[in-house]
Amino acid sequence: MSNYTPTLAERTQPSQQWIQQVRISYPVERAIDEVFTRKLHNRLRPVEHIMDFSTLQAPLLHFLKEETGQSNIVVENLKRLSGGASKEQFTFDLTWQAESGQRETLCLMIRMDPTESIVETHRLRECQILRAMWGEVPVPEVLWIDPLGEKLGRPALIARFLEGTVQPEQPANSEKMSGVGMYFNPALRAGLGQQFVNILAKIHAVDWRKKDLSTFDTPALNSTQANEWAIGLWERAWNEDTLSAHPIMERAVLWLKENMPVVDEPVIVHGDYRSGNFMYTPTLDINAIFDWELAYLGDYHDDLSWATLELFGGHDEAGDPLASSLMPPSDFLERYERASGNKVNTNTLAYYHIFSYYKIAVIAAATSVRVAYSRRTHLDAMMNFASGLGSVAISELNRLLDKATT
Amino acid sequence: MIETRTLKIINGKTCVMSPEIEQFLSGMKKTIEDVVMPNLSDRFAQEQASIVAASLGFLGLIQDKTFHYELLENQEYKRVLTDINELLSNTFSAPAAIIETTTKVTDHFDTDKVDDPTYLRPYKFIRGSNEAMKELLCEFIQQQAEMPTELRTAFEALMKPFFKSIELRERSWVKALGFDPEAEQQADIADLLYKDGLLNIGKR
Repeated sequence: MSNYTPTLAERTQPSQQWIQQVRISYPVERAIDEVFTRKLHNRLRPVEHIMDFSTLQAPLLHFLKEETGQSNIVVENLKRLSGGASKEQFTFDLTWQAESGQRETLCLMIRMDPTESIVETHRLRECQILRAMWGEVPVPEVLWIDPLGEKLGRPALIARFLEGTVQPEQPANSEKMSGVGMYFNPALRAGLGQQFVNILAKIHAVDWRKKDLSTFDTPALNSTQANEWAIGLWERAWNEDTLSAHPIMERAVLWLKENMPVVDEPVIVHGDYRSGNFMYTPTLDINAIFDWELAYLGDYHDDLSWATLELFGGHDEAGDPLASSLMPPSDFLERYERASGNKVNTNTLAYYHIFSYYKIAVIAAATSVRVAYSRRTHLDAMMNFASGLGSVAISELNRLLDKATT
Repeated sequence: MIETRTLKIINGKTCVMSPEIEQFLSGMKKTIEDVVMPNLSDRFAQEQASIVAASLGFLGLIQDKTFHYELLENQEYKRVLTDINELLSNTFSAPAAIIETTTKVTDHFDTDKVDDPTYLRPYKFIRGSNEAMKELLCEFIQQQAEMPTELRTAFEALMKPFFKSIELRERSWVKALGFDPEAEQQADIADLLYKDGLLNIGKR
């Protein structure tokens, strides 16, 4: 593998000057700049990702003793969870003294950055949004956080482990990656669909001004600033990570910048709201919404677009597309309007469909390939494989751009 | 059957590259699937092993076409950059930054000439040249915002079919990875690369 051009060489071994130039070229929120810049500095260290997680046991015990103030605690059964494309996830049992004074054992989950991730995100930011949503919509309860990885080696948060189903049993030979195109049978669709809509409406209705979201920058009302920052993030990720320049990606980002909608009243945007990112109980109650790491303050159409992307949704028994594998897209949008009171603007939705495919292309065609190239993830083989999704996303992007420009 | 094997001439003697790469890959895939995976009890390890097996299957399909894929791209990028340079040299209204990019294109064509027998070059040379040409084309695309309306319209008209050809080529290339809901409608990469047994250069 070669760095064929000076630009490709800079991406692999970024100079301080190049890092500075990147930082001023793309407008992003401060927390995003922090994690992206840290990623580039880390890239200078020739570190491969280590798969052996047994070394986590001792620092974890030490960290929890400090955080709980209890010396008589036990950490055991540390296990890797499958899934989790962007972060490494582990479960373990913690035995400690609860507030009631009783000794109890909790099953907990660690969500930890790999050496370099397919989406570089901010653990404190994820912790803040999860805590903001606690009591509003079903989310895992975050207990502790090591935002910079000073105690656990890499940034991580620890939450209660929840039992439930993310992906129901799939038809033969249709195992899906990270929830892409999964299948829910009609009974599951009937039981889960309206909840999926209601929870999204609730997320968008949360008054974020009353929450501690200090790591989120607030975009100006009635402006394009939320979109400037969002585009800045994804364009910067592309330009820091890609192993190959791509004319369609340049076409797309130019169009996105030239056609940014104004966001009248920013809301909390989940950023990855789709099948694969919620969990349900045997009684068909959605008991957790996951993967808040891409949350930001912006336009609710962004979540509507993501949830209705044909690439993510499966099909019903007649072969018709379903929004997030749960209901026809038009049905989803109508239900959302009723549940939220927000109007769906089809032109704005079309804009975010283009933006959504751009984001998928950045993740799958650039960042996934970059982290596998650098051998910095727990899923190197899968990250190379995912490049296929990137090419499909770029193709869809081109088709939508053709439509938008005729 | 000698015609199914790759021939090499070393010191005047005819040698055979055997087994072929495809056979290595297919043997590894079978071993992972039939020996390794049934004996894995850890779910994470099973998932990763299945991706390794699928990757080997994909490599088996495309490994003998990578050189020609790059060669085809090389010809396509040379053609489109030549067309753009021609378009810009026929206009008096191109801004200075754009003219600078046309100079870079001309300089690049000193390294990899448009009418060079590029097919005789090593793979890495061709790939490197392609990456440089992609970056130059991306520069032009970024500069559209600075183009006068008439020039921009002409530029966009030139680019649209080129974008379409990239889209079709890449989608065919990754068809076997299994992500494409329209996989059945995509051409096989061999059909897209070759026509009448020859690389599909300059044909429409």
